[in-house]
This record gives sequence, structure tokens and C-alpha cells, in this order.
Amino acid sequence: MEAAKKILTNVKMPFCPGCGHGICVRSTSKALENLGYGPNDVVLVSDIGCSGLVDPLFATHTIHGLHGRAPALGIGVSLGLDNPNKKVVVIQGDGGATIGLQHILEASRRNIDMTLIVINNLLYGMTGGQMSGLSTNEFKAYKHSDDDADPYDVVNLAHQSGAAFSVRVNDISNFTDTLKEAINTPGFSLVELSSLCTSHGMKKVADMKGFIVAEERLVNNRPIGVSKKRTKNSLLSSVKVLEKQFESTIEDSTGIVIAGSAGGGVQSAAKILAQAGILSGLYTTMKGEYPITVGTGFSVAEVILSKKPIHFTGLEKPSAVIAVTEEGWNKVKNRVAHESKVLVDRKICADCSVDVKDFLKVGGKMGAALSAVSYWVKETGVFPVEALFKVVESSKYAVSLQKAIQSAEELREVVYSYIPENKKRTN
Amino acid sequence: MIDASRIITEALVQSGADVFVGYPITPSNLFYTYSKERFPEFLAGPDEISVLQWMCGYSAAGKIPVTATAFPGLALMTETLNMAYMMELPMVLIITQRLGPSTGSATTGAQGDLKFLDGIISGGFPLPIFSPSNFNDAWTLSNEALKTAVKFRTPVIILTSKELVMTQKSFDMSSLEPLEKVDRTPKEFKFPFQPYKAGLDMVPTFYPLGNDEYQVRFNSSTHDNEGLIRKGTPESLANTWRLREKLEKRIDEYSFFELDAENGAEDLIVTWGVSADASRDSVNSIRGKGKKVSLLIVKTMLPISQKIYDIIDSYKTITFAEENMTGMFKEMIFGKRTTSKIKTATKFGTMLTPSEIEEKVN
Ligand SMILES: Cc1ncc(C[n+]2csc(CCOP(=O)(O)OP(=O)(O)O)c2C)c(N)n1
Ligand code: SF4
Ligand SMILES: [Mg+2]
Repeated sequence: MEAAKKILTNVKMPFCPGCGHGICVRSTSKALENLGYGPNDVVLVSDIGCSGLVDPLFATHTIHGLHGRAPALGIGVSLGLDNPNKKVVVIQGDGGATIGLQHILEASRRNIDMTLIVINNLLYGMTGGQMSGLSTNEFKAYKHSDDDADPYDVVNLAHQSGAAFSVRVNDISNFTDTLKEAINTPGFSLVELSSLCTSHGMKKVADMKGFIVAEERLVNNRPIGVSKKRTKNSLLSSVKVLEKQFESTIEDSTGIVIAGSAGGGVQSAAKILAQAGILSGLYTTMKGEYPITVGTGFSVAEVILSKKPIHFTGLEKPSAVIAVTEEGWNKVKNRVAHESKVLVDRKICADCSVDVKDFLKVGGKMGAALSAVSYWVKETGVFPVEALFKVVESSKYAVSLQKAIQSAEELREVVYSYIPENKKRTN
Repeated sequence: MIDASRIITEALVQSGADVFVGYPITPSNLFYTYSKERFPEFLAGPDEISVLQWMCGYSAAGKIPVTATAFPGLALMTETLNMAYMMELPMVLIITQRLGPSTGSATTGAQGDLKFLDGIISGGFPLPIFSPSNFNDAWTLSNEALKTAVKFRTPVIILTSKELVMTQKSFDMSSLEPLEKVDRTPKEFKFPFQPYKAGLDMVPTFYPLGNDEYQVRFNSSTHDNEGLIRKGTPESLANTWRLREKLEKRIDEYSFFELDAENGAEDLIVTWGVSADASRDSVNSIRGKGKKVSLLIVKTMLPISQKIYDIIDSYKTITFAEENMTGMFKEMIFGKRTTSKIKTATKFGTMLTPSEIEEKVN
């Protein structure tokens, strides 16, 4: 049998004499070698800190990222590789686990297939021995630190969030075996290893007693998190293609502002108008404006209908401003320009000097906007009202939309009736 | 009717993007929705730092990831964007500009993030920024953005604005040519393989993490050719310097602009992104009145190609048309000091209109 390739390089450990990080690194490599992993089978993801100085020690693939973010980077690597034969191992310190705690919870929640080793020396080693979110109260008292908030139990947090296996080991003689167990666990495993910072903490392992958290081991039986892959259709194939079939009288371009309230069909009325414009051989644009809370408040839409291609989509001087509710009107009344035709519902201002119609009455709450748009189309004759009917023909809501378009007739003297395409007699 | 969010999303997938990782934010939400419908793989991150970290992981594993956000998300992504840049990981970030500062107005458009992007890589390193000016650009420039990301091993930005990606327009879809999928075959290299050893083209050959042939190391800290931390060695400093060189020296391979030059014109309108269409209209109007004017629409905003400077230098007066307070692109070219040669047509909080641009030019 070919001798298994070593996981570690011959590079000298970069840590201070007696630093516990070296034991963690050796135990990790031993665990991987014992399990039969070769260097190219392993991706080591390292964090920032003394515990993040490990890349040159490993002959594996390595990726050295940001402080606290290694588990998040590991999630991407693991999902991106999507290969059960490759092992993603993440190493970070207690400081990294503090600043990036969200990523540990996320890896646990998703049960991402990787092993996170949290090397806990109870402090930020690299920046001079400050306290971390995992520093125990006892240790903080010993270091005369003012911060006496209780530490995170990252092992339990991972467990509560769904990690397949999470464990704290304080006894260095158990490091390798526990790491083997974790690495062999499908899904997310977290191993918190106790480490010694001889420069800013204790000098000997024995002195750590009384300052560290008791060991614990927790298991969840859950399926591994995967990212599903699907073949999907072009986004262009679902766009409705509209061919010219009506004539328009528009010579240049005209812009309409339509205003109402959320749930009143303003956006859909505008879209129907714009699509009917396309059916009439026009270039059109449509944009909507509404509060972030789309279910309440005003709803405003702008439509431009033009004989020539439209570049600028803003509307400086609308040729019509239509409003069917008061909050809509309040939003757009300052848009009225000298040349604007104004059409508002009677409820908004019965005695206004503008054109007042009973859109709400004939179209209902949901149909008033479309009723008003249809009325405008008929009044101006920009294109035949049949173009509007054509647009809604195949809609799920065809019946109620047709009714709303039809309702505009009640506001006019001349009554006409719409005959659907397939019922029309050809002569 | 169609919007540019749909066009950009489709263009990126057709160009070979593999995965969309997103966190919702207006006005980039359509990208999120469409990507969920279209990308072979879609992931919802719990925050924007996670989003970009996951993308880095995917990219290092050989996939091409995409995300879409706005300033608040970009701000959270900044440290990781630097990491992706340093590691030389290809990916695409769509940034839809909205009115700031801070959370500002989520549904109001703007062109206010260009200067932030100019200095976003610590040390002033150039990050390629592509800004489509209309639907056809949205299609072709997305493809170019993705190709640039792969070719130069770098994150790239597609910089859009609310009105550009949320407005629905009638559009002739047959004008969109099928897009070429980007080639990810590793380039030839001189043995032995080193993940950050570059040849004359200044871009190291990419092999993904976990491959069976070569050991790969990616590193966010200053590193040597092998990908290991080295502070201040000639090799590691050269490696960092190369990040600038590869993009600056080969700028013409990804520098896009549109020049509508009128013979004899002494006035030039310079614009970008969402203000380009308003500028097109004002140019038509100015010319309609018998006055000569030229129009330069910049599409690769950063780094700035010498060609852009040369065009600008060949005109007597230049009007910058931008939807921000002071003219950010103008300031990147001429600084904050304005002379009689330079005019700015700017707008804050609403779209810059064709007549406002025309007024400035005259
Ligand atoms: C965003 C960010 N904030 C702060 C730092 C500075 N920093 C570098 S290492 C470190 C602490 C490392 O502590 P730990 O993760 O416990 O690793 P150790 O050095 O103890 O092994 C800090 C705060 C940084 N690199 N990045
Ligand atoms: S400072 Fe502490 S943690 Fe860092 S190498 Fe030295 S002993 Fe280890
Ligand atoms: Mg520590």
C-alpha cells in the first residue's frame, strides 16, 4: 500500500512556546490522517487570529479569510464543492466565534457538511489578550476585566440550532478521537477545544482548571443540508409577446398618471393600459410608486404611450392625471401641469373644477382605476377600447376586468357593447 | 413589457453564472425574485456578510456566484468584497442605487454610490464597475461583466438604479442576441503550479479548491505566489501591486462607452446609467434646434480609460448629467473644483429630466 500522504507540512509552528494551538493543529491532522484523508481531499478554512496562522502548517487546500467569517466561507465552500468525498474543516478562535456567531448558528441550522473547530483560549490572543464572548466569568475576574456578562455556550447554541454533533473537549488526550468522531459525522459538527495562551493567559494546562467550562457533547439526528439544483426556463420565454393589431391616433407621446389606494388595482390598470398601447403599435413604459408597506396607503402608476421609442421614462408634464381615491389624489395633485386633463372620482371632490366622475360607483373599489383608465381611452380615442379588452381576455380575472372596462360606458352617453373576438362575425 | 432586472438576470445565467445568493432589499428585489425563478441554484442568506462569504466559498470552489443589493447591503459587504478582491475570486455584484444617506428612500432612484465604489477597495485599487444605460446594455454589459470577472479573476459590479431596473417598458426582445457562455477551462501555466503565480497577462491560472491535481491556497492577507501570508516581501508586495496592474494595464479589454459625436460640436454631454436616456432625449432636442452637441455615455465607470479622458479633452465645454448632488463622475475626472469649461446638470431625489440637461448645455 502506498504510504498515506501527510496532512501537515514541515513548517515550524508559528505560535509562542507552550501555546496550546499547536496541539489542536496536530490533533486535527492526526484525525484526518487516521481517517484516510489525503491532502487534496481536505479544504482547510481558516479565520483571523493566532488560531488563523495555520495555513502553512497544512499540506491540504487552504483558504484564509476574515475575522469571524471562516464558518460562513466554509458554508460556501462546502455547498459549492457539493462533494461528499471532500472534507471541509474550519478553524477559528473564541474571538472569531464571537464576532461571527451568526455564521455558526446558520451552519448548524442548515446542517452544512463540515467540521468547525473552535480553539478556545478564552481571549483574543492576536490583539493582546482582551476578553472574548467565550471568556468565562472566572477568567475575567482573574484578568481584572470589568465585563462580567456570562459567556456564550457555543456548543449548546450550535446544538439548539440543529448541528449534527457539537462537543467541548478540555482534555487534550481526547482531542484526536473526538475530532475523528466529528469529522466522520455527516452534516455540521462543532468541536470546541480548550487551548492555552501562554502569553496572555495561563502558563500551564493544569492552571486552566477552574477557568474553563465543563465538557459537553450533544447530538442531533438530522439530514445534511444541501442546495438543490434545478434546470429552469428562460425568463424571456414567460414574457407575453404583444403584436400590433389596433391603430392608435397618438402622433407624438402622451403620459398618464393614475392614482388610487393599495388594493385598488391601480398598478394592474396601468399595466393593462400600457399593454393595450403595445397592441396598438405604440412604445410604452410603466412604473409604479407605493409605500414600502404595499398593502396600505397610496398607489400611483405612470404610463407613457409614444409613437417613437421612449428614452427618458420620467413624466414631466402628464397629459392626464387620474385619481380614484383621496389618498391617491393627495399624492399626485402636484403633478398636474398646465396641459393635464384631470379626472377624479366624485367622492374626492364633488365640486372641483376638474372633471368628476363616479368611477368608484360604477367600477367598485377594485375596478375604479381600470374604469377610469377605460373612460380616458374612450374619451381621448388614443386607441380602440377593444385593445383593453384584448389584453385582459386571457387573464385569470378576465370577467371582473372586462366588467370594469365595460363600466366606463355607464359614465358616457353612448353605450356600446364588447363582443369577444371568437364571437365576432366577419363580414 | 419587460424590465431590466429580468434582462440582467437572464443575461447572467446565459453567460454561465451558477448560483444566486441573495438578501432582499429594495430596489434590487426583482433580481431576487427572478433569480429564484431562473438560477440553477438559489440561496437565501441570513444577512449580506453571509451572502458574500458564501459567494466567496462558491467562487473558490469553481462556481460563478451573483448577488444583488443596494447601498445598505453593500456597506455590510465591504470587508468581504475586499477579501474576494484579494483572493481574486470571480463573481458579480449588482448594486441598485437608491436615495441615501443611510436607509434613505428605498423606492427613490439615485446615482449616489459611485464614489463609494471608487474607494471601496482599501488602498485605492480599481474594481471594475459596469453601468448599463438601457435594456440592450443590460443584456450585453451583463455578459461583459461576467466575462471580465472570470478573465481577470475579480469581483465586478453592475451598477444600476431604481428607475432602470424597475420600470417596465415595451421592448423588442428579438434585439437580444444569444449570449456566449464564459469559458472556465484553466489557462496554461508554467510549472510548477502556484495559485497566485501570474504570467505576462498578470492573471494567475484558476484551479478550484478541492481539485485533485494541484494544491490550491486562497488568501485574503498579503500573500506570496503560493498563497501563504508574507508581510512585505518583494514577492508578496508585487502580488498585491499586480491586482492593480492587471486591471489598469488591460483596461481597454473591458472599457465600454458610447460616443455619439457630431461633427463640429464644441459641447459634450457626459453621462451614465439612468441619466443616459434623459441625455439622449436632450441631445435630440438640442440638435432639433440646430445646435451641435455630442454625447458620451460611459458604461465602464471604473477604472477610467484614457480614451474617456481623451474624448473629454477634445471638447470646449463639458456638461455632466448625473442624478446626484454634485456630479460624482465629474468629480472623479476633474475633482471638486469647477471651471467655466465644466458644467453639471444634477438632480437629487427625482430623475434628472431632458430639459434640465438642455438648460445647462445652453
Ligand atoms: C473585523 C475585524 N475586527 C477586528 C480584527 C482584529 N483582530 C484580529 S485577531 C483578533 C482576535 C482573535 O482572537 P481569537 O479569534 O480568539 O484568536 P486567537 O488569536 O486567540 O487564537 C482580532 C479582534 C480583525 N482582524 N477584523
Ligand atoms: S499570543 Fe497566545 S494564542 Fe497567540 S501564539 Fe502566543 S500563546 Fe498562542
Ligand atoms: Mg482566542
